[in-house]
Amino acid sequence: MNADGELALARRALEHLSGEQAQATVTRERSLFTRFARSEATQATAIDDTTVELLCVVQGQTGAAATNRIDDAGLAHAAQTARSAAAAAARSGPGTYPGLPSPSAIGSHEGYDAETARLDAAVAGAALADAFACCRERGLEAFGIWTAGEVLTAIAASTGTAVADSFTDAHMSVIARRADGRSGHAAATAVATASIDAESLGRAAAARVATEEPGTLAPGSYPVVLDHAAVGALLDLLGSLGFNGLAHTEQRGALCGSIGTPVAAAAVNLADLPNVPGTLPRSFDAEGVPKSSLALIQDGIAQAVVYDTRSAALAGTSSTGHALAPGGSPDGPEPSNLVLAGGDAAGVEELCAPIERGLFVTRLWYLATVEPRHALVTGMTRDGTFLIEDGVISRPLHDVRFTDSVLQILAATEALSERLRLVSDHDLYGRRFAKGVLCPALRAGAFRVTGGSA
Amino acid sequence: MSAGRVEGIDCATDAGVGIRVAVPGCGFGFAATREATKTGLEIALARAVAIARALPTTPRRASLPPVPPALGHWAGPCEIDPFELSLDERLELLLTAEALLRGDPRIVRGVAESLACRTVVAFASSDGAAFTQERTECGGGITADAAAQGETQRRSYPCAQGGSVALAGHEHLIGLDLAAHAPRVAEEAVALLSAPPCPTGRTTLVLGDEQLALQIHESIGHALELDRILLGEASYAGTSWVSPTDIGTLRYGSPLLAISADATLPEGLGSFGWDDEGVTAQRTVLIEDGILRATLSDRQSAATIGSESGGAARADGFARQPIVRMTNVSLAPGESGTLEELIADVPSGVYMETNRSWSIDDRRLHFQFGTEVGREIRAGRLGRLLRNPTYAGVTPKFWGSLEAVAGAPAWRLWGLLNCGKGEPGQYAHVSHGAAPARFADVEVGVLR
Repeated sequence: MNADGELALARRALEHLSGEQAQATVTRERSLFTRFARSEATQATAIDDTTVELLCVVQGQTGAAATNRIDDAGLAHAAQTARSAAAAAARSGPGTYPGLPSPSAIGSHEGYDAETARLDAAVAGAALADAFACCRERGLEAFGIWTAGEVLTAIAASTGTAVADSFTDAHMSVIARRADGRSGHAAATAVATASIDAESLGRAAAARVATEEPGTLAPGSYPVVLDHAAVGALLDLLGSLGFNGLAHTEQRGALCGSIGTPVAAAAVNLADLPNVPGTLPRSFDAEGVPKSSLALIQDGIAQAVVYDTRSAALAGTSSTGHALAPGGSPDGPEPSNLVLAGGDAAGVEELCAPIERGLFVTRLWYLATVEPRHALVTGMTRDGTFLIEDGVISRPLHDVRFTDSVLQILAATEALSERLRLVSDHDLYGRRFAKGVLCPALRAGAFRVTGGSA
Repeated sequence: MSAGRVEGIDCATDAGVGIRVAVPGCGFGFAATREATKTGLEIALARAVAIARALPTTPRRASLPPVPPALGHWAGPCEIDPFELSLDERLELLLTAEALLRGDPRIVRGVAESLACRTVVAFASSDGAAFTQERTECGGGITADAAAQGETQRRSYPCAQGGSVALAGHEHLIGLDLAAHAPRVAEEAVALLSAPPCPTGRTTLVLGDEQLALQIHESIGHALELDRILLGEASYAGTSWVSPTDIGTLRYGSPLLAISADATLPEGLGSFGWDDEGVTAQRTVLIEDGILRATLSDRQSAATIGSESGGAARADGFARQPIVRMTNVSLAPGESGTLEELIADVPSGVYMETNRSWSIDDRRLHFQFGTEVGREIRAGRLGRLLRNPTYAGVTPKFWGSLEAVAGAPAWRLWGLLNCGKGEPGQYAHVSHGAAPARFADVEVGVLR
C-alpha cells in the first residue's frame, strides 16, 4: 500500500498556505486493539482517523494547527490558524527556527506488511485463544493485549519536499498470572502479525511464573542479568536523557561534555538504525528529513546525539533526521530506532553462569528520572524477578526497587547475548507511532537495589 | 515561550464518533471514525460488532446494568473565554513572566507556557440517554532550569508538568500571576545548584499541597480504581493492593485520612455533568476516618461487585472507549491551621514541594517520589534549601503515619493533565484537593 492519497491530501492542504513557508503533514491511522484479562477478551478498539498538521513559518517563528476535518473548509481553517499563530509569534520578535529543511531523496524499507494492514479481527481472536489455552494448561490466567496498525504518512512542503511512507506494526504482550498474584511476562513486536506467535508468548510468560515462595533481597549492589525487556526499557529512557540534541546543547543532557569519551563498557555499541531487519523502519522524520544510520556509542565511546532542524541550528550542525513533530518538538529530538549490538553469549543461562550471587530481571516498571544530568533513574522490577546463585537462576524474589544510572549500568556491562529482540511498550497515546529498541539481554557487574516489595 | 521568544504555538481540533456495542453472546466492541456521516457511522458500527464477534466469547461481560437516562446540557465554568482573546494578549502574559526568569547566566532554559482546551461532547445510548456537555480548561506555568559544574536543577511555579490547569476560563491563568513568582523561581533554581543534598534517614516529612496531590493520585486514586482491583488493567496500568472484600473494613491510613471523589467540584478537571457512560456526576466518600468505604467505578466494574456505578467512566476523546478514571480525588482539610503552624511542632524534619519524579509499583503499594525542592525543618521553622529531595514508603504505612493536615484556608485544588492509562493510551485530566500535611518517621534521601 502506498500513501499516494495521503500525499495528495498533504498537497491540497499546503495550497491553503500558498505563498508562505509551510509544511503539511498527513497521518492516517487504522488500528485494532484487543485487550484481555483473566483469560477473557475485555476491550476491543478499532480506530480509523486522519490528521492533517499544518506548520507555518514566519520570521523564524512557527505556528502549527492540526485537524481531522479534511474537507476544504476544515483545511482552510487550520491554515488560517497556523498562519495567525506564526504571525502572532513573530510579533514577539524573530524566532530561532532556521527554516524548513531542503528536500532530500528518501530510501525505501520493508516495514509494511499488507496482511497486517487488513487488521483482521479473526487473527486477533485466534491469538487470544492460543494465549488463553497456554495459560489454562498450567493453571494460570492470561492478561495482555494484541494490537496491529497501519500508518500512512505524507509530507508536502513549500520547499519542494514531497514524501510518503507506509508502515505497519503488530504487538502482543502476555502476562501469565497465578491466583496468588505471581506473574510472568513475554511480549513480541514486529512489522507483521504473522511474526507474533501467541502460543510461544503464552508459554514463555508461564515459564516465568514462580512456583516457590519468593524470597527477599536486601538493598545493595548486585551483579545482574537484565533480560531483553529490561534492557530495552532502560535504553529507551536513555534515548531522551542522553541523546536529545536540544537538552545536550542546553547543557541539560546526560552526555554533556562526554562526547568522544568512554561512557560505557567497551562491549557496548549503540546506534540509531532505522532500516535494519528487526526494527520498525521509517523513511523520514517529522520534518521530512531522511532517516539514516547514526552511531551513538561505539566501543563504549560516546559518539553523537540526535538533532532536529531547530536543535541542530542551536548547536551549529545539521539535522540527523530525528524530529518528533513538524518544526521540532519543544522537548527536542530523540532516537527512534535504537539498536544495541549483541555479544556472544548463547543466552540467559550463559549470562548467569559467572554470577555467584545476583539478580535476574525479566522486566522493569514505572521508570522515572531522578537526576537527568546523570541518567539516574528509579523503577521496580516486575513479572519475574529471580535470585542467581552459583551461576544459575535458583529461586524467585519479590520485586525490588532499583535506583541507578543507566550509563553506570552500561559501564558495568560485562557480556551481552547474541540474540536481539525488538522491545516495545506500545504505549500508544495520541496518533499511533510505534517504536521499539532492538537489543540483547546483558550482564552487568553492578545494579543498585534500593528497596523491596516484600 | 523561552529565551524571550515564542517557542511554538500549537492548535489542534478533532471531531469524530466512537461507538461501543455489547453483542449478546459475545462481548463488547468499539470503533471510532472521523466520518460522522450515515455511511461512516454504519461502517464503524459494523466494525465494532465484527470485532466483538471475532474474539473469544465472554458472555458474562456483554451487558451493562441499566441507569436512568441522562438528558440535558451541562457546561463547566468559564468567565473569560480564552478563545475570544487574541493570541497577542495571551502571549503578552507569558512574555512578561519568561523575561523575569532570565538574568543569571546559570539559567540555561526558562519556559512560560499556557494551555486552553474546550471539549464538546454529545452522547446518546440505547438506554435512552441524550445529552451534551461543554468543558473549558485553562492554565499554565513557568519553569527555570539552572546548570553549572555538572549539576542541573529545576524550579517551577505553580507546579511542574505544565503548570496549574483548572476547569475554568482565562481568569484562572490571570489569577496565577506568573510574573510575580518568576524572580523567586529563577533564584531558587540557581540556589539549588549549590544547596546541600537532602539528608538520608528517617524523619518527619511535611509535604506541600501540590506534592501531596500527586501522592494522593498515585497511592490512593489509582489504587482505588475498581477495574484495577478486579485485575482488568493488569496488562498495562497494573493491579491494586486493595481487594474488593476490603471495602468497609480496610484501614488505609490514620484516622485523619478522609478522601472523596467529587465530580461536582467547581473548577475540578474531573468535574462534569455526566460521565462517558451517561452516569450522573456524584460525590463518593472513598475513605473515612482512615477506613476504606468505596472505590472508583464504572457500570461494568460496579456490577461485578454488586454495586452501582460511581460515575467514573471517562474517555480521552472520541477514539477511546470509557474506562475507570479518577474524577477529583481529594484529601479533606484538617484542623492544623497553616503550613507554618503545621511545622511549628516539628523539632527536626524535611519539607518538600513541587513534584519532580514519581515511581510506584504495579500494585500501588511501594513508591519513591522526588520533588524539586526540599527545606530543612529545625526547631519548628523552615531552614536552608535542600537539593534532590526524595522520599519512599509503603502506601498503608505511609498514610498511617499521617499526623496532621493543614486547615481549609490552606487547601487547594491541583490539576493533572498527564494521567496515563489504557490501551490505546488515554490521558485523563483530573484534579486533587489537598492542604499541606505532616507524616511521621518517613524514609527520605533515598537517592543514593
